[in-house]
Amino acid sequence: MMLGGVPILSILIALPALGALLITVVRAVTVGSRDVEAGGVEGKASLMAGLILSVATFVASLVAFAAFQIDQDGYQLVEHRNWYGPISYKVGVDGLSFPLILLTTFLTPICLLASWHSIKTRVTEYVVAFLLLETFMIGVFVSLDLVLFYIFFEAGLIPMFLIVGIWGGKDRIYAAFKFFLYTLIGSLLMLVAIVYMIQVAGSADIEILETIAFAPAIQIWLWLAFTASFAVKLPMWPVHTWLPDAHVQAPTAGSVVLAGVLLKMGGYGFLRFSLPMFPDASAVFQPAMFVLAVIAILYTSLVAWRQTDMKKLIAYSSVAHMGFVTLGIFAFNETGVQGAMFQMLSHGLISGALFLIVGVVYDRTHTREIAAYGGLAGKMPVYAAFFMLFTMANVGLPGTSGFIGELLTMVGGFQAATWAAAGAALGVIFSAVYMLTLYRRTVFGEMTNPKLETMRDLTLIEWVCLAPLAILTILFGLAPNIIFNITGPATRRILDLMGGA
Amino acid sequence: MLPDPLLIFIVLAPGLAALTGLFHKFTGDRFVMVITTGTVMLAGVLSLYQLFAYAAGISTVVDAAHASLDAYLIAGADHAVVYAKPRVIELMPWIDVGTFHANWAIRIDALSIVMMAVITGVSGLVHLYSWGYMSEEPHKARFFSYLSLFTFMMLMLVVADNFIQLFFGWEGVGLASYLLIGFWYTKKAPNDASIKAFVTNRIGDFGLVLGIMAVYFMFQTVEFEPMLEAIRTNAIITPLAFAEPLPARESVLVFFGVRVYALELIGILLFIGAMGKSAQFFLHVWLPDAMEGPTPVSALIHAATMVTAGVYLVCLLSPVYEHTLYAAGMVTLVGAVTALYAATVGMAQNDIKRVIAYSTCSQLGYMFFAAGLGAYEAAMFHLFTHAFFKALLFLGAGSVIHGMHHEQDMRRMGGLARFMPWTYAAMLIGTIAIIGLGLPHTKIGFSGFFSKDAILESAYAGVSAEVMFAQVAFSLGLVAAFLTSFYSWRLIYMTFHGPHIGSSHHTVPAGGHHDESHEPHESPLVMLLPLGLLAIGAMAAGVYFYDVFVDSMNEAFWAGAIYRSEANHILHDRHEVPEWVLWAPLAVTLAGLLIATMTYYFNRGFGARLAASGGPLHALFANKWYFDEIYQATFVRGSALLGNLFWKADKQVIDAIGPDGIARFTKFGARRLSVLHSGYLYHYAFVIIGAALVFGAVIWLRLGAG
Repeated sequence: MMLGGVPILSILIALPALGALLITVVRAVTVGSRDVEAGGVEGKASLMAGLILSVATFVASLVAFAAFQIDQDGYQLVEHRNWYGPISYKVGVDGLSFPLILLTTFLTPICLLASWHSIKTRVTEYVVAFLLLETFMIGVFVSLDLVLFYIFFEAGLIPMFLIVGIWGGKDRIYAAFKFFLYTLIGSLLMLVAIVYMIQVAGSADIEILETIAFAPAIQIWLWLAFTASFAVKLPMWPVHTWLPDAHVQAPTAGSVVLAGVLLKMGGYGFLRFSLPMFPDASAVFQPAMFVLAVIAILYTSLVAWRQTDMKKLIAYSSVAHMGFVTLGIFAFNETGVQGAMFQMLSHGLISGALFLIVGVVYDRTHTREIAAYGGLAGKMPVYAAFFMLFTMANVGLPGTSGFIGELLTMVGGFQAATWAAAGAALGVIFSAVYMLTLYRRTVFGEMTNPKLETMRDLTLIEWVCLAPLAILTILFGLAPNIIFNITGPATRRILDLMGGA
Repeated sequence: MLPDPLLIFIVLAPGLAALTGLFHKFTGDRFVMVITTGTVMLAGVLSLYQLFAYAAGISTVVDAAHASLDAYLIAGADHAVVYAKPRVIELMPWIDVGTFHANWAIRIDALSIVMMAVITGVSGLVHLYSWGYMSEEPHKARFFSYLSLFTFMMLMLVVADNFIQLFFGWEGVGLASYLLIGFWYTKKAPNDASIKAFVTNRIGDFGLVLGIMAVYFMFQTVEFEPMLEAIRTNAIITPLAFAEPLPARESVLVFFGVRVYALELIGILLFIGAMGKSAQFFLHVWLPDAMEGPTPVSALIHAATMVTAGVYLVCLLSPVYEHTLYAAGMVTLVGAVTALYAATVGMAQNDIKRVIAYSTCSQLGYMFFAAGLGAYEAAMFHLFTHAFFKALLFLGAGSVIHGMHHEQDMRRMGGLARFMPWTYAAMLIGTIAIIGLGLPHTKIGFSGFFSKDAILESAYAGVSAEVMFAQVAFSLGLVAAFLTSFYSWRLIYMTFHGPHIGSSHHTVPAGGHHDESHEPHESPLVMLLPLGLLAIGAMAAGVYFYDVFVDSMNEAFWAGAIYRSEANHILHDRHEVPEWVLWAPLAVTLAGLLIATMTYYFNRGFGARLAASGGPLHALFANKWYFDEIYQATFVRGSALLGNLFWKADKQVIDAIGPDGIARFTKFGARRLSVLHSGYLYHYAFVIIGAALVFGAVIWLRLGAG
C-alpha cells in the first residue's frame, strides 16, 4: 500500500542519503582535493544544501503522514521486496514508529541550523555525516524486517561515532570509543539472537515473527540478548555511563540528536520486539526492569544535582527521564505504554532544547562550567525565558509535555507495582532540585564573571531553533491527545499481541 | 449565577492578561499594568457579585434542573443531605488514554464560588496596591504578569472538575509563587527561598500525585464527581488490579505489599499534598522564607489564597475525610499542632513580615483541624474571613515597610502611628479581626470572631462526640488563640507605639529612595484604598456571611458541595456547648492583650531584655524549633552525600568494571601476548613443535578411541 504507487517510505529513507552523496560529489567537483579546513564559503554552501534537504525530508515525512490512517492499528504504507532467502526489504509504519520518524525529520533541520556558526572545520563532512545519520535513524523506525532493522540500527553508530570523535570536545576520542564499545557489545548479543530467531521462524519478517510463540525458556535468552542492546541505547542504569561522556564531548547538534532520537531507539526496540515477541520473558523480568527504572530515576537525579558541567547535568537528567519510559513500557497497560511513547517524544523535544540552550552560551564563552555563569537574566532576558520554560518542562510542570509522560507512566506503573510508582514520584522531587539549582546558578544571581558583560541575547538563528520546540512543548502539554490519537491503536495492538501470544 | 461566557472570562482572562507581559518591550510597562489590573479587577467584581447574588438567594443555581434543593428547603429535615450537582462547563478534552480521562473544565458549585470571589477579589486589590508599592521598581511588567499568571492558575485549581486540572493549578500556583518569591533575582536570599518553596511543595506533591494515582486505581476515574458519588453512596467499586470489588468505604488496596484501607491511604496521601501547599507542620519551613518576595505577593499568595488551597482540597474531598478515621485524625492533629507551633514561633520574631507569616501558618492550622473534625463549613468560613484580615495585615505591613524605606525589623520601628495614621487604623482593624474579638451571644464582633469561635465551639462539640483528637484540637486551639492575641498586639505596640527611633540608625543605600526626608511617610492613596476595602471586609465579612456559611442557612448555601455523614452533627452541636466554652476564647484573647500591653506598651524594654537573657524556650521559639538546621543536616546533606557517592560509583565502579575494565583487560592481554613475539627463531620452533605434538596426540587419541 504505497502512496498512489509512490514508495514514499523508501524516498524518505533515501532522500538524506542521496543528498549526502550529492553534496560530496559537488564538493569533489568544485573544490577538488584542496584542503578545506578553514570552512568558509563551501562550508556554508554545504550547510545550506543540507538544511534544504533535511527540510525537504521533513516535508516528505508530513506528506507520508497525510497518507497515514491514524485510526488503524496495523502497519501501513508497506513496501516489500524479497532479498535473499528469509531476508527481505520490507518497510512500513504504525502509530508507534511514525511519531518517532516525525521527531527525527523535525529535529534534523534544527540540528543543522544550530551548527551554522559553531562548526568551523570539515563542514561538508559534518553535513554528510548528519544526513547519513538521518537516513539510518529513519531506517530503524520503518524497518519491518529484522535484518534490515539491525543494519540500520548498527549503521547509525558510525556517523554518530564520527560526529563525537571528529567535531567533539577535548576528550572526544575516549567518549567516542566508550560510546562505540558499549553499544557494539549490546548489539552483537542481539545479532546472535536475531540469527537464531530467523532459523526458527524461517523468516526475518517482523509481522511473521510477531505471530510466532517462542518457548518461554528460549524467550528468556532472546529477551536478554535484545535487552543488552536496548538497555544500552535507552540507556538504563547501570549501562548508562557512556551517555554523559558522549554528551559532554559531542557538539551541540550531536547532543540534540543523541538525546532526541538515538535514545528513543531503545524504548522503540522494547515496544517493537521485546513485548510482542517475548511476552513471557517480559513478564518474568518486569520486577527487575522496575527496579532498574527506579534506580535510574533516583540515582541519576542525585548525580545530576552534583554536576558542575551543564551538559553533564542534562545528560544525567536524560537517564532519569528515560527511567520513566522503562517504567511505563513494562507496566504492560495502555496508560503506561502510551505514557512511555509520549515521554519519549516529549523528552526528545525538551532535552534537545536544553542542549541547544547550553549550546547558546557555550558558543559565546566556550565553557560549560556552571560556576562560570550567573546573572544572565539581566543581559539575556529572552534566553532566560526560554531556559525557564524548558527547565519547567524538564521538571514535569503540568501544562508542558514533560508532565503528561511522567504522570501516565507513573499511573501505569502504579497498577503494576505501587512501590515502583512511588519510587518514580520521589524522582520528581529531585528533578526540581537539580534543574532549579542549575537555573539559579546560571541565570539568576549577580553577574560576577566579567567575561559575561558582553553577552548578547538570542540571535535570529537561535530563535528559529528554539521557538518551534517551545511551541510544541506547550502544545503537547495542553493537548496531548494529538499524540495519543496516533499511538493509541498501535499500543493496543502491541498489548493484544502480548496477551495473545 | 453568571452565564457561561462570563465564567469563562473570569477564569481565562487573567491568564491571557499575563501573556501581555511577553510583549512589554513593544507596549511598555504601563500597558501591561493597565491590562492585568483591569482584567483581574473586573473578574473580581464579577466574582464578588456572583457570591453576593448566590448568598442572597437570588442565584439561579437552584433552577428547575436542581429542584432538589427547593425540596430540601421545604423539608428542612435535619440530615436529609440533598445534593445539587455542580455545574460543569467543559472547555476542551485534555488527556484521553484508555479509561483515563481528564478535561479542561470549569466547575461551579458553592466551594468554587466562594474561592473565586476570594481569589479575584484579593488579587484585584493587590494588583492595584502594587501600583504604589512597586512604583520604584524596574521590571514592573514582569511583576504584574506573574501576579496575573498566579491568579489564573489559582482559578484553574478551584474550578477543576478533576484531579489532573487541580494538579495543573496546584503546580501552576507553585510556579508563580517560585517566580515571585525570587522576583529580586540578583539577591541570594530570595533565590534560596524560591527554590526552598518549590522543592518543599514538590515533597507535598509527591504525596498528592501518589494519592491521585491511588484514586484512579480504585475508582477508575480522576474526576471528582463520580469518585465522590461512589463514596457518598458507598457503591461497589472494582479496582484496576490485584484487589477485590468492595463497597467504596471498605475497599482495600495493596500498597508496598501491605493491605490497607483505600480511603485512608488516599486521604493521607492527598493530605500530604495539602500540608506542602498550606505550610503545615513538617512542611511549613518554606513559608517564612517566602517573605523574601515583595509584600503584595505575600499578601495575595502566601496569606489569602495559595496557602489555603490545601484547606480547599480537604473540604472538596469531604466525603473521603468523612469516611476515614486515621486520615481525618491526621488532618486534625497536624492542624492543631501547627496552630500552636506557629504561634509560639510568631511570638519571638522581629521581622514584621515573618510574624504575620507565622500567624498565617497558625491560622491555617485552625482551618485544618476544623476540617479534620468534620466542621468543613467552619474551615471554609475561616478561610474566607482570614483572606480579608490577613491580606489587610500584610498590605498594612507593606505600607509600613514602604513608609520606612524598606525597613522590616520591628526593633527599628516604633511610634509610627503618628506618621501613618491610616495604615495604623487598618492594622488595628486587622488585628482586632485576627484575634477574634467579639461578644458571645450577640452579633457584635469583627470577622475573625465569627469564624474562629465557630471552629473552637465545633472542636468542643467534637469532644463530646468522641471525634479523634478533638480534645487536643480544642486545647491547642485555645492556647493558640491566647498566643495569637499576644503576638498580634506585640506587633502593633512595637511598630506603632512608643518613641520613634528614627532613621538615624539605618543608612539608606545610595541610589535607593529619593525622598527628601528619611522620615517615615504615609503611603499613597492607591495603596490606602485597597487597605480600606479590605478593612471593610475584615470588619463585616463575618457577620454578613455567618448565617449562610455556618449557621441557619449553611446546608442550603453549600448545597452538597460539602458533604457530611449521617453521624456528623458537629456544626449543629456546637450550639449546645457549655457557656464557658463561648467565653473562653474571649478570656484568653483579653489575657493575651493584657500581657502584651504590660510587656510591650508599658515596659518597652521587656522584649529586648527577654531576648538578651536568652532562656532556652526563647531560643527555641526564635530559632523556629531548629527545623531548618535539622533538615539541612539530614535531608539536604544526606542527599548531597548520596549524590556524590553515586557519582563516584559511576566512575570508580561501573566504568572500572565496564568499558575501562574491558579496555584495560584487552590492553593487558595484548601486552602479555606480545611477550611471546620474542623474535628468537628457537622460540617459535619450540612452539610449533610443541603444538604439533599436542595436536598429533589429540588426533591419535581420538582415532584410537574411535
